[in-house]
Amino acid sequence: MALWIQILAGSGKPIYAQVTEQISEAIARGELASGDKLPAVRKLAAELVINPNTVARAYSRLEQAGLVTTKTGSGTYVSDPKLRRSDAADINILTERMDTLITRGLNLGLESEDIIAMFKARIDKFVSKPKTGRGKND
Amino acid sequence: MTETVLQTESLTKYYGSVLAVDHLDLAIPRGCICGFVGRNGAGKTTAIKLMLGLLRPTAGSSRLLGCDSAALTPAIRQRIGYVTEGHRLFRWMSIAELEKFQRSFFPKQWDDKFFADMIEYFDLPKKRKIKHLSNGERAQVSLALALAPNPELLIMDDPTLGLDAAIRRQFLEGMIELIMRQGRTVLFSSHILGDVERVSDRIVVIDKGVLRANCSLEEFRAAVKKVILSFADSAPDEVNIDGLLHCRRSEKGLELTLVGTDDEKIAEWAKSVRAERYNIIKMNLEDQFIEFTALPGRKKMFRWEER
Amino acid sequence: MRFLALLRKELRECLPWMLLAALVFLAFGGFFLRALAYDQRHYRYYPNFSSGTLVEHVQLTQHTPLLLTGSCLFCSSLGLGLILGVRHFWIPHFTRTWPFLLHRSVSRKTILAAKLTAGTIAFVISLGTVWVALYWYANQLEAYPIPQTVRVFIEGWIFIMLGLVVYLGTALSGLSTAKWYTTKILGLAFATVIIVTTFSQWSLVWAFAVIAISVVILLSLIFDTFLRREF
Repeated sequence: MALWIQILAGSGKPIYAQVTEQISEAIARGELASGDKLPAVRKLAAELVINPNTVARAYSRLEQAGLVTTKTGSGTYVSDPKLRRSDAADINILTERMDTLITRGLNLGLESEDIIAMFKARIDKFVSKPKTGRGKND
Repeated sequence: MTETVLQTESLTKYYGSVLAVDHLDLAIPRGCICGFVGRNGAGKTTAIKLMLGLLRPTAGSSRLLGCDSAALTPAIRQRIGYVTEGHRLFRWMSIAELEKFQRSFFPKQWDDKFFADMIEYFDLPKKRKIKHLSNGERAQVSLALALAPNPELLIMDDPTLGLDAAIRRQFLEGMIELIMRQGRTVLFSSHILGDVERVSDRIVVIDKGVLRANCSLEEFRAAVKKVILSFADSAPDEVNIDGLLHCRRSEKGLELTLVGTDDEKIAEWAKSVRAERYNIIKMNLEDQFIEFTALPGRKKMFRWEER
Repeated sequence: MRFLALLRKELRECLPWMLLAALVFLAFGGFFLRALAYDQRHYRYYPNFSSGTLVEHVQLTQHTPLLLTGSCLFCSSLGLGLILGVRHFWIPHFTRTWPFLLHRSVSRKTILAAKLTAGTIAFVISLGTVWVALYWYANQLEAYPIPQTVRVFIEGWIFIMLGLVVYLGTALSGLSTAKWYTTKILGLAFATVIIVTTFSQWSLVWAFAVIAISVVILLSLIFDTFLRREF
């Protein structure tokens, strides 16, 4: 399991958010499979040269989102997707964002079928081509 | 209960008639990395020297690890690491001689292996004299000398001034390494906001000797906002929103810098003044710092004009 | 242990100047000693000298072959005092090493004591040993038929102590926070006054008294300034 996180200090995005997002993406792409252990907070902090509290915060955000679970004394593990619950608020945000994209697509003059096709193509690429450039592990 | 390792109360310093530090009130808790930022000449070095007992305050007091700064005992000084401004070390000493010198003041705490590892990592010959080292190499030696005694409180005065990105990163790594040990605290002043953002838990902003901010980095990042509003007709004459710091006008727009104003309040106010559009700009720490410490009514230095 | 580390560092900083002063003094002082030892002029004063003649000690001290050597010692001593004072108390301002030195796990008094002790040792070792050597040589009958008096020996040490006074005066000037053209040179001026005062009376007791008092005054001023000073 390779976890590659790029931190950009000086971009507008808070560092903990960058860590949260990139781990989320890795989970979504399948680079981090269910049951995989995330690096220890200190290890990741030392590697990325960021404050350990920032890493801790990112991990706790991920736990709140249901993507990971922490077992005391053991570490933080990627959760079972079947056990992840998405609450109404998450679904709302997702719906809103889809609305934004759909609006844009329609404004550009695309047909709904084109938009759907674009989505499908992107999802296929997303899941099959991980960031590291290596093939998908199964 | 978190202990306060560094505390100042109305710390004030006058140089003749010039006010360098103006009633500074700080309380740094144990276990955090605190970034001390301010513009050039804001009073950061003066404040640090006051804390370490190198300068005497005109008024107010400062306490380090519970001990008054004007009378720091040798036992307390032993627990404090200090990286001086400019990394000024004895030029005639070699790295090995400096190590011996520094070590004799920390007989029980000195970590031989740690120092040796760091010097090896930096690829520095132990026999070389300080005067033959570049600024960056001298900074590296200074860092190793400060970290090897495993200090409880590490104070660094602008440690990465003028140093290249690789060495700056090494300093950050050193700070992270130290903070992960039990009960350690780091206070460092810096101009590189990116570095401060990376490693700090807390941020202290000092401007012209005055304390402008003293909070967690998270709070600061969330608090300083820039909002751009555009209006159909003309911008309102009076801008009376809570937390207004600066206001810049253009013909049909307003650029506001706000501190501590909720997004909802901004939306409310924008509605109340009938703004056509408003946009909360995402700023990085550097932009926030510049806005926060800008003079009111400041115009931009250069102006592009349409021809 | 910490004091020793400080002392070692301060002594090491004196080392090149100690060697320089010792060599200069040895070279010039030794040269004049050799030159005068064989000077025929000495025998002019004692044309009837033969064993059993009583010679007044005043004549001995005034016509000692160590006369010019003594002057060399005087100059070397003052020079060394000035240089060491600058090295220990002026240079750290320019190299900005005071903050590093002052953040030691010892009292400020100890840091100052290390510097002053090193300065004193420097004088004793470099000029003191050469003076003892030259004095011993002048006492060798092959070099000069009339043995030297103890007074000459003591006078040499008085010159060395005057060098120490200059060292302390320079130290005080270096620590003064005033601008150079006002009260800053007070330390140096005081040392100069002391030197002149010492020579105003040709008496060993007078010399010791003046030097002792001036050292006490200078030391207390130096300690007071150093402990209160801002860096």
